[in-house]
Amino acid sequence: MPISASNMHNGTPPVADHPMLELNQVCAGYGEIQVLWGIDMVVRSGEITALIGSNGAGKTTLMRALSGLIPLTSGKYVSEGVDLSKATAAQMLAHGIVHVPEGRRLFGAMSIEDNLLMGAYSRSVSRTELNRDLDRVYTTFPKLRERRNQAAATLSGGEQQMCAIGRGLMSAPRLLMIDELSLGLSPLLVEQLVAALRQLNSEGMSILLVEQDVTTALDLCHHAYIMDMGRIVRTGQGAELLADPIIRDAYLGVLED
Amino acid sequence: MLAIQVLINALVLGCLYACIAIGFSLVWGVLNVINLIHGSFIVLGAYLAWGAYNALGLSPWYSLLIAAPSFFVFGYLLQRLLLNRVITAPVLVTLTLTFGLDLILNNAMIYYFKADYRKLILNPPTGSVSIFDVVVPVDRLIATASALALTFLLYLLLRRSKVGRAIVAVRLDRDAAVLMGVNVKSIYAVAFGLGAALAGCAGVLMALIFPISPLTSSAYLGKAFVVCVLGGLGSVSGALAGGLLLALVEGVGSVYLGPAHAVTLSFVLLIIFLVVRPQGLLGRKGFE
Repeated sequence: MPISASNMHNGTPPVADHPMLELNQVCAGYGEIQVLWGIDMVVRSGEITALIGSNGAGKTTLMRALSGLIPLTSGKYVSEGVDLSKATAAQMLAHGIVHVPEGRRLFGAMSIEDNLLMGAYSRSVSRTELNRDLDRVYTTFPKLRERRNQAAATLSGGEQQMCAIGRGLMSAPRLLMIDELSLGLSPLLVEQLVAALRQLNSEGMSILLVEQDVTTALDLCHHAYIMDMGRIVRTGQGAELLADPIIRDAYLGVLED
Repeated sequence: MLAIQVLINALVLGCLYACIAIGFSLVWGVLNVINLIHGSFIVLGAYLAWGAYNALGLSPWYSLLIAAPSFFVFGYLLQRLLLNRVITAPVLVTLTLTFGLDLILNNAMIYYFKADYRKLILNPPTGSVSIFDVVVPVDRLIATASALALTFLLYLLLRRSKVGRAIVAVRLDRDAAVLMGVNVKSIYAVAFGLGAALAGCAGVLMALIFPISPLTSSAYLGKAFVVCVLGGLGSVSGALAGGLLLALVEGVGSVYLGPAHAVTLSFVLLIIFLVVRPQGLLGRKGFE
């Protein structure tokens, strides 16, 4: 269960008690069209949080709002006690929150390594440190090392997703927000990516995962939020939701045998 | 013999054309702005070289070192203060704005420098060398080498530096670049500044070879435009390929049809390319 906002302000809790990201009545949209209607959500430090929902539920809009690409119309979000509601993408990165966008959005004509280096654009660190981080990404995704000088557009879908996640990791984030991890990928590749995410999480990385593949998401996450028509309609622990007959009926219908 | 002469001329001129065009191509490719001031920037660069040589006795090589930073700052500020305000508007708006700015700059140059043609004459002259029995003036060779060096420098900057990668990233996917923390408006200003710096440097090199007058700006702009269409937009190698092709066509055209028709021929080629291969020799298909 998410920590309620009232618990947060009793006394002066240590920083570790602040959630990685806490959304309070977030509303946003495009021009006249409101997409998000008062989203409350908590992403806890060190956990994998999943946001699931069907196409058009507003998941990607929420990601765009959280990474500073579109402004909030009302509400706010706070990370570790810092109000980031009006933060730009660059400020979100500086705070340690990175958004791996839907469709990967790699720089197709650039090499894999240049894509990864672009991921570290917001940091001012030495070349040695960059090389060390590159090496870490290559260790997580060995395929990328093999093809480091190849144009990103020539990669397969799975490798592109690895590159996109790697590019996100290069910003040295504490919260990795991934939009549509499994879209268009084979089950085998999804398994590899899931294993990589588990590994990252076990090393302390907080992850917010947006998924349409409900089974994968609920299986992987600690907590999940289910979104529909721009609102959060259910929340709970992954395993608990996975066992819920209503959820199974609504989102896993085809998988019932 | 004549063939070699034409070839070497094309090589010399082609590199200069590429140098004229890369800044224009960079701005067009990254900002999606057709920068009509480009020709006047080149002429201003030529006046800078001419003035520095005649008034201060500074060799044009030093003028390059002055032109690069001063034109960069000029271009950077122009983008920051003026063009960034309308950059999201349809392309016609930015076109009109650069057209207006070009009128101001060009007429200012006519006012201050007069419309007379001037020539930068190096004293003592650098002489000439013969390659394969073809006589090539040394100043022209040095200008060509400098043009190639400038082109290569831009290539290195875009490929190897952090800001260069950001410029390419903005060109490829603006939103994704924003997610990497890139400040798009400042990258636009840097790209425009680089375009202006390259124009200024190209102008310095042109001063070594061609007569200088504000009236030549439209000829330079036309060349830059043709080179971009022939070679393909937004890539350094494309500009080089386009420049060489244009110079070759003009060279061959001058021999067989006469110099007056060579320019016509280059624009005929432009129309053919626009119809048959709008992405240019090395451009990628589908890029706006």
